[in-house]
Amino acid sequence: MSDKLKDIISKQGEQQEQESVVGQLDDVVQLVGFMIGDEEYAVPILSIQEIIKPFSWTRVPQVPSYVMGVFNLRGAVIPLIDLRAKFGLQTKKQSEDTRFIVMRHGDDVAGFVIDRLTMAIRIKKENIGPAPDTVSGDDTIIDGVGKQADKIITILKVNKLLERDF
Amino acid sequence: MDEFQEILQDFLVESFELVEKLDEDLVELESNPEDLELLNGIFRVAHTVKGASSFLNFDVLTHLTHHMEDVLNRARHGELVITPDIMDVILESVDLMKQLLEQIRDTSSDGGIDVSACVARLDKITGGSGEVETPVVAAPEEKSTEETAVEEESAAADDEDEIDYENMSPEEVEAEIERLLAQRQEEDRKKREAKIAAGEEVPQMPNPDAEESKEEKKEAPKETSAPAPTPAPAKQVKKEAPKAAAPARKTPAQVEQTIRVDVKRLDHLMNLIGELVLAKNRLIKINDDVEERYEGEEFLEELNQVVSIVSLVTTDLQIAVMKTRMLPIGKVFNKFPRMIRDLSRELNKKIELVISGEDTELDKSIVEEIGDPLVHIIRNSCDHGIESPEERALKGKPEMGTIALKAYNEGNQIVIQIDDDGKGLDPDMLKSKSLEKGIITEKEADTMSDKDAFALIFKPGFSTAAQVTNVSGRGVGMDVVKTNIEKLNGMIDIDSEVGKGTTIKLKIPLTLAIIQALLVGVQEEHYAIPLASVLETVRISKDEIYTVEGKSVMRLRDDVLSLVHIGDIFEVERILDASEHAYVVVLGLGTSKLGLIVDTLVGQEEIVIKSLGDYLKGIEGIAGATIRGDGGVTLIVDVVALMDIAKNVKVTSMTETQEGVASKEKTQASDYVVMIVDDSKTDRTIMRKALEPMGVTLVEAGDGQEALGILKSGDYNFDAMLIDIEMPRMDGYTLASEIKKYNRYKNLPLIAVTSRTSKSDRMRGVESGMVEYITKPYSADYLASVVQRNVNFKAEFL
Repeated sequence: MSDKLKDIISKQGEQQEQESVVGQLDDVVQLVGFMIGDEEYAVPILSIQEIIKPFSWTRVPQVPSYVMGVFNLRGAVIPLIDLRAKFGLQTKKQSEDTRFIVMRHGDDVAGFVIDRLTMAIRIKKENIGPAPDTVSGDDTIIDGVGKQADKIITILKVNKLLERDF
Repeated sequence: MDEFQEILQDFLVESFELVEKLDEDLVELESNPEDLELLNGIFRVAHTVKGASSFLNFDVLTHLTHHMEDVLNRARHGELVITPDIMDVILESVDLMKQLLEQIRDTSSDGGIDVSACVARLDKITGGSGEVETPVVAAPEEKSTEETAVEEESAAADDEDEIDYENMSPEEVEAEIERLLAQRQEEDRKKREAKIAAGEEVPQMPNPDAEESKEEKKEAPKETSAPAPTPAPAKQVKKEAPKAAAPARKTPAQVEQTIRVDVKRLDHLMNLIGELVLAKNRLIKINDDVEERYEGEEFLEELNQVVSIVSLVTTDLQIAVMKTRMLPIGKVFNKFPRMIRDLSRELNKKIELVISGEDTELDKSIVEEIGDPLVHIIRNSCDHGIESPEERALKGKPEMGTIALKAYNEGNQIVIQIDDDGKGLDPDMLKSKSLEKGIITEKEADTMSDKDAFALIFKPGFSTAAQVTNVSGRGVGMDVVKTNIEKLNGMIDIDSEVGKGTTIKLKIPLTLAIIQALLVGVQEEHYAIPLASVLETVRISKDEIYTVEGKSVMRLRDDVLSLVHIGDIFEVERILDASEHAYVVVLGLGTSKLGLIVDTLVGQEEIVIKSLGDYLKGIEGIAGATIRGDGGVTLIVDVVALMDIAKNVKVTSMTETQEGVASKEKTQASDYVVMIVDDSKTDRTIMRKALEPMGVTLVEAGDGQEALGILKSGDYNFDAMLIDIEMPRMDGYTLASEIKKYNRYKNLPLIAVTSRTSKSDRMRGVESGMVEYITKPYSADYLASVVQRNVNFKAEFL
């Protein structure tokens, strides 16, 4: 077993220990973090149906540029949305790290293109602050801001992401 | 409570079925008042509903049906002749009964609907004073159930004369019940004995008590709905018995052979079949690929067999499941005799409805949707088509106007045809009317054929009636009919002759979920067009396209066809070279036609329609999506919407010259880019060594997949490719044919470099699109010269 692997396993062990302490408290939120541009975002783990590697999709006419089209997820036709474009960033070529995150809220399902996955995060509710005043309100897609030791993570509202806004 | 709900459900299902039949029978009864068989049938329906509703404590319904039953009973015994006036009251009461049933279905109670007026009239017919108390609160339960028992008994044993239970004292009722129960039990015992004698096992019934009488009541309505098994009264026996016997034999057989299935389950099954059809398409595609690659191998035959069996069975399965969802169109047609009857009385016209082909079957979802358009068309025929009796007499036509409603199969479609022998449509009148309303221009009117003129009645804002009547007009015109039919992927065809009548044909696909489609390609994209809307396809060269008033048109035989490029409608990016030729798919909807220009015709395929979901719904021109054999998604064109969009698309940009993609001016030798595809590093190095002296840029790929990936990424503009044939993952032939699928690379020179030397290999190379065939070993100079020739290498760089 390589040292690297050992390292990872021991790290995981540590994290699990930490998590088990955190996990005993009820007010913990589990999130999945991902990168879009230079920012880290997260959505609740339970709203994610699956995370898949990119594959081919079909363009759909007469939609905003951030709607890339539709793709076939085991027989279901699902819209594909480029979060870079949606957040007003330059589109860039898909790379090795690019993933489609399929999110579900009620009956609404859509795939979102993200630049890179980071990690699954457990975070205490008390460490989640409200969205900044400038973007708060019902219309924002930001649910809150999660504070972690070394960084902050923007938590997104899945229902807003899945809402048609054109 | 659950048990009650269950009984209630059974009651409702049964009652609605009975009532539906009732309408039909009643209208027939009016023309055949002597038909005892019919009268008996109608009477039994009223009776059954009454019995069951009183058991379930729906007093208002019981009250109403009781009086209906009274009237019908008298008619049945010949004491009353059914006149149109009496019929009106009866029909009104049937309507009330329907309303009550619907009320019960929705709220589980029958309150809130006033039946007293109708009951009073019914009562008058039977000779009563018309002053009848309408029950408002529930009668004591015991009494009502007992009464039911009595009613059922008397129905089951049809030889009883109707006894007026209302006027009996409670003691008399008790006595009557006792008597009837005893009689019934006697019958039951006899039946049981008969069954035992026949060797059947019969559970021993407990002694007669309240429980049992309840049981019987539940059974009774079913029994009465079929002709009573006990001997009919002597005076009727001659007439009724032989006729009654037939349905009696038929009914139990039907009951055993059908089961009720939740529609959701069928829908689910249909979805699964849809998946299977997709998988089948995929399997066929893979089979084709394998066949190409391993030509002549023995296992191919076996694979072929399996694939064809799977595809055959899938098709059969699909048809079978589709059939389970089929309903006879008679279900819709049933309500029309009644409607025509009401209309003809209202309009003071004499109209006869002739229905045929009511057994023709259609998908349930279509049957549900087709009702309203048909009502509209038939109302129109009655109101505007058929003339008044006086007018008809003047014209020498029979006073009785005829509307024929007919359904039949035609290929993959169902045709519903509505003929009337009324005054017909006058094309000139239609044109002047449309001119008046500004629907068409004078110029259009002049060039319009009669057929196009008839189609004007489907234009929004058109109504031929001088004034809007209660019957056909509610502000909405036939355009709603058209939209509804087109929603079902159907078409309307209309034909008419002045003075002779009008024929309207609705052509509707058998099912909505799976359709035949024509797949077309534009640039790198594919679209599916429902084949039902495709009239023909033609191949044209670009100079056959003319521009008239800013629109593209072409001449198709004797007609001028307006054209629109599919790329203009779906905003397809024009990155690829458009070839000299194009295909025109002629779309037809009703009488309007449109030519859709596409780059390629891919072929015909059976596709399963899938919705794009809430997020993408309502995209103009797209009806849905389907999943193809290769797992990709293809969008389905909404022909109706497309025709609308096309009106606003000005001249197609098809003739625009494309610029700059491949034809960049070469200013130095390294502007030439050549890709080397070979799985052997040594071979790649040999080729590199041979070409490096030229100074061109070289890109290497280890196999076909990799090469295709590099091509697709668009990082380089290649001028030529050197391709080895024998490679893992994707061989040279496959790679070449894949590359040729992209319009952009249609003219990219592909040079095979291989040790395969046989003639058939060369042939395959040519077939897959290779322009040169170099066999190993080769000299470096030869390779370089071949490459130079193919990339049009400029001499000054040498």
